[in-house]
Amino acid sequence: MTRSTVRTDSRLATVAGYVAGFALLFLIWHLAATLLVKSILFPPPWPVFERAVVLIEDNILQEQIVASMRRILLGFALGSAIGIPVGLAIGSFRVVRWLLEPWTEFFRFIPAVAMITVAVIWFGIGEESKIFLIAYTTVFVVVISTAAGVGAVGRDKIRAAQCLGASRLQVFALVALPATVPYILTGMRLAMANAFVTIVAAELIASNDGLGKLLWDARLFMQIEDIFVALVALGLLGFATDRVFRFLIRIFAGRFNATV
Amino acid sequence: MSLVSLQGVGKTYRGRTGAWEAVRDFSLDLDDGEFFCLLGTSGCGKTTVLNMVAGFEQPSAGRILLGGAPVDRPGADRGVVFQGHDSLYEWLTALDNIGFGLRLRGMGRRERRAKAEHYLHMVGLTGQGAKHPSELSGGMKQRIQIARALANDPRILLMDEPFGALDAMTRAVLQGELSRIWAETRKTVLFITHDIEEAVALATRVGVMKRGPGGTLKAVVPVDLPFPRERTSDAFMAAFRSVHALIHDEIHGAH
Ligand SMILES: Nc1ncnc2c1ncn2[C@@H]1O[C@H](COP(=O)(O)OP(=O)(O)O)[C@@H](O)[C@H]1O
Ligand SMILES: [Mg+2]
Repeated sequence: MTRSTVRTDSRLATVAGYVAGFALLFLIWHLAATLLVKSILFPPPWPVFERAVVLIEDNILQEQIVASMRRILLGFALGSAIGIPVGLAIGSFRVVRWLLEPWTEFFRFIPAVAMITVAVIWFGIGEESKIFLIAYTTVFVVVISTAAGVGAVGRDKIRAAQCLGASRLQVFALVALPATVPYILTGMRLAMANAFVTIVAAELIASNDGLGKLLWDARLFMQIEDIFVALVALGLLGFATDRVFRFLIRIFAGRFNATV
Repeated sequence: MSLVSLQGVGKTYRGRTGAWEAVRDFSLDLDDGEFFCLLGTSGCGKTTVLNMVAGFEQPSAGRILLGGAPVDRPGADRGVVFQGHDSLYEWLTALDNIGFGLRLRGMGRRERRAKAEHYLHMVGLTGQGAKHPSELSGGMKQRIQIARALANDPRILLMDEPFGALDAMTRAVLQGELSRIWAETRKTVLFITHDIEEAVALATRVGVMKRGPGGTLKAVVPVDLPFPRERTSDAFMAAFRSVHALIHDEIHGAH
């Protein structure tokens, strides 16, 4: 068998596995709702699906998804843009580590959810507060994994460069940085998961749109199907985002490290 | 004047468990073009000596000269081949790994490529330049390391048990190739090993080390056999026995 057919086969198997896994999830949901709980508060999948179709036809679901995803991506990009250089500096220079490690160790124990009130007071309930919160939740995860990546660069890799004539700057740019890329991407992937948690909490409390707002309104008006539509949408979005991320990691970093 | 000169070199490590004198009063002169094997049991201080010559570590006593100038840091005049293949860059192809030192010097792409191809061919990997290290076997990775060091044209090649992690068959093949490459380039080599046969197969001189603490050079034996060496010949056996006799006490722990 050639290499590419092996690859296609395993990809097919993966997709088939996912489809079966989701089908099983919906089946159990259906059985639990119709046979076990039998309550109006726990609808089976089908009415939820029908409600989703209505929300999509009315363009409501798309709008909330776009609103939430926009905040996530902007905040995530901002947090990464700050976190990567800071993490590199912490990992490379002892002085910077001494100075900034207390910060990262302090703030990473204050969850973004706890910062919502402050964010709203500072930035209002507009876009800024949400983007701030996503950036906040992203930045520390990215800083820590980036710095850890710099620290984990093999000693022999650096020594090899030195005895090939590399300057300090060359060691950094041509050895430490590329060797750290898989760590950076892994940190970003973790941060993306955090961003989903944070955006819902922020929108629940202070927002005019987004999936969190959809959840909140549905609770207010007791539209139980809407709640489930929002929950399933979140799960699927997170799943899809993570897939995209893994795909990108494979493209950009697959050759950096076979185990990514 | 010798190319490398170690004069009364000592190294004491200080750590949590106190001080450990790994190397004591180690003196050796390496001539241009020779293949010197430093032979000793595990832990006797071989790597410590090589790391000091490479400039990775500073001696705590004595001094090391390269071409008359003191060694105080790593530099492109000393190429190092490491025991593990952790030192290769996974994100670069085999060819770009070989050309890494040339790139540091700002050599243009085309010229660099041609030179890297030359050394890729020299280590017997023609046509495999586009592969990444994760796609190469352990023996191939060591070949890439050798090519990478040679492409940089150092004055001396420092090799720390480069074949130690390979299976016996691959090791024998690579020893043969290294011997051939050395005969072609006449590059000065300081080669570290704990394998007597490897030392006798490769070296023009073998230095036998005494066990630590305070590891030092016990004796130096010239190996005057023509290349390529026939391992089953009587002359080879005789050389093997004479080196073996020297290291016997070290192996069996008589102090
Ligand atoms: N960084 C270090 N700190 C403390 N002791 C060390 C260090 N490196 C090596 N040693 C000790 O020095 C001795 C010689 O080590 P090494 O040169 O690696 O031996 P070899 O390469 O001959 O096996 C050993 O006893 C080892 O434990
Ligand atoms: Mg060693």
